[in-house]
Amino acid sequence: MAGLLSRERIVAKPGFNRWLVPPAALAIHLSIGMAYGFSVFWLPLSRAIGITEPAAGDWKISTLGWMYTLFFVFLGSSAAVFGAWLERAGPRKAGVVAAFCWGGGFMISALGVYLHQIWLLWIGSGVIGGCGLGLGYISPVSTLIKWFPDRRGMATGMAIMGFGAGAMIGAPLADILMKHFATPTDVGVAKTFIAMGTIYFVAMMCGAFGYRLPPPGWKPAGWTPPAQKSAMITTHNVHVSQAWKTPQFWLLWMVLCMNVSAGIGVIGIASPMIQEIFGGRLIGVAGTLQELTSQQKAQLATIGAGFAALLSLFNILGRISWASASDYIGRKRTYFIFFGLGTALYSLAPFAGGTGSVTLFVLIFCIILSMYGGGFATIPAYLADLFGTQYVGAIHGRLLTAWSTAGVLGPVLVNYIREYQIDRGVPNAQAYNVTMYVLAGLLVIGLICNLMVKPVDQRYYMTADELAAARTLQAGQRA
Amino acid sequence: MANNDASEEPAGGSWVIVVLAWLPVTLPLLWGIWQTVKKAAVLFR
Repeated sequence: MAGLLSRERIVAKPGFNRWLVPPAALAIHLSIGMAYGFSVFWLPLSRAIGITEPAAGDWKISTLGWMYTLFFVFLGSSAAVFGAWLERAGPRKAGVVAAFCWGGGFMISALGVYLHQIWLLWIGSGVIGGCGLGLGYISPVSTLIKWFPDRRGMATGMAIMGFGAGAMIGAPLADILMKHFATPTDVGVAKTFIAMGTIYFVAMMCGAFGYRLPPPGWKPAGWTPPAQKSAMITTHNVHVSQAWKTPQFWLLWMVLCMNVSAGIGVIGIASPMIQEIFGGRLIGVAGTLQELTSQQKAQLATIGAGFAALLSLFNILGRISWASASDYIGRKRTYFIFFGLGTALYSLAPFAGGTGSVTLFVLIFCIILSMYGGGFATIPAYLADLFGTQYVGAIHGRLLTAWSTAGVLGPVLVNYIREYQIDRGVPNAQAYNVTMYVLAGLLVIGLICNLMVKPVDQRYYMTADELAAARTLQAGQRA
Repeated sequence: MANNDASEEPAGGSWVIVVLAWLPVTLPLLWGIWQTVKKAAVLFR
């Protein structure tokens, strides 16, 4: 089995088509992307005992929500810790481990639902599944960048788009499965976990076995590296153990953290925000949300869910489109647009809310969310440009701790500011204004950090001997 | 292709395999996007 998973076994044979690698990466990213859709389980799990309504001993939604924190923390930690191992072991082995962690996590969670033990859900999906998320997320990055030296942004954008889209498939699928498995004495979540764990395990194994590495020195037919290289794209390599000592690593860490903090904060409040800001105007009646009838509130909730769905569409569209565009306009300029335009749009949002223009408000947040997704998808190519391709997967893994930080920082910041405003007597509809200015402030910090990014000092570059030794070590792992 | 600086056109028949490899990821992806578009459509009614 070890031989089957080794790097040597996955070096592509002559005539291999590089366009076979992105679907393998997508199979893994679409599976682990379901992490974003886990909230579909909260309501049924909150009445796992009572079935029709929560009963004594049933879990609270706030308790179940800790799963998201575990996801983000273990995604970032495992990517940081195991990134260097991935570079040595190869993407197939990492993909297989990720499949066991993510699929196995679902199985342990199913047992947790069956025994009604919340800690089994946290350990299963949260910790073990979270490790699968981290390994699965970074597993194709380095490979795709090596297969697509001419379109690094597009290649990683395709895979990372899959992570954003995973919940679009997983959440409605889970809904269908829960309805199918539900009985008068069972909400159907345990069986749904088993079914989805099996589906994801198979899909991820197919993806892992679809990975192929290009032979050393391979380049696309008819492509020659540009003669006049940009100073921001190095031909050298920086070792993962050196990369985090450079100012560029920490500047990009801040760039990712600020971009994600702002976007993730909005995702969490999108639905209540549009309902509270526009109230009855969304359905053509007068009055704030609090003044509406329960039937009108239900209509608004549907519109709120529709707004959140639209944002998720722009999130995935942004991943592929911005990352692809960065191949032509450059990474630094792409992030300059994210932060510059983002700051302007966040500052404009309270005005759009104040004027009552739903169209302008929705348009603003669609563009913001496209740039949030674009920020995720463009960062691996930015890293490859600055640090070289040899250890980009491991360096990306370490950078994902910024995502973990943002996953906690963004929602806490947004919720705290909103609560603080309401406690001070600010009407609910205006409680988001200060939040938007604070998020714009985060983007200004990101803008400054991005402007400070310069090429990595050559003292951090690997020497020719070190690079040869690293490649020999990898070749040794193959044998 | 095994030598350094190798660059090679993919084999002609491999494009059929490429299409077959993309189908299992594209179809669920399109289904998921369609589900999301339906949900988002209420905003425009």
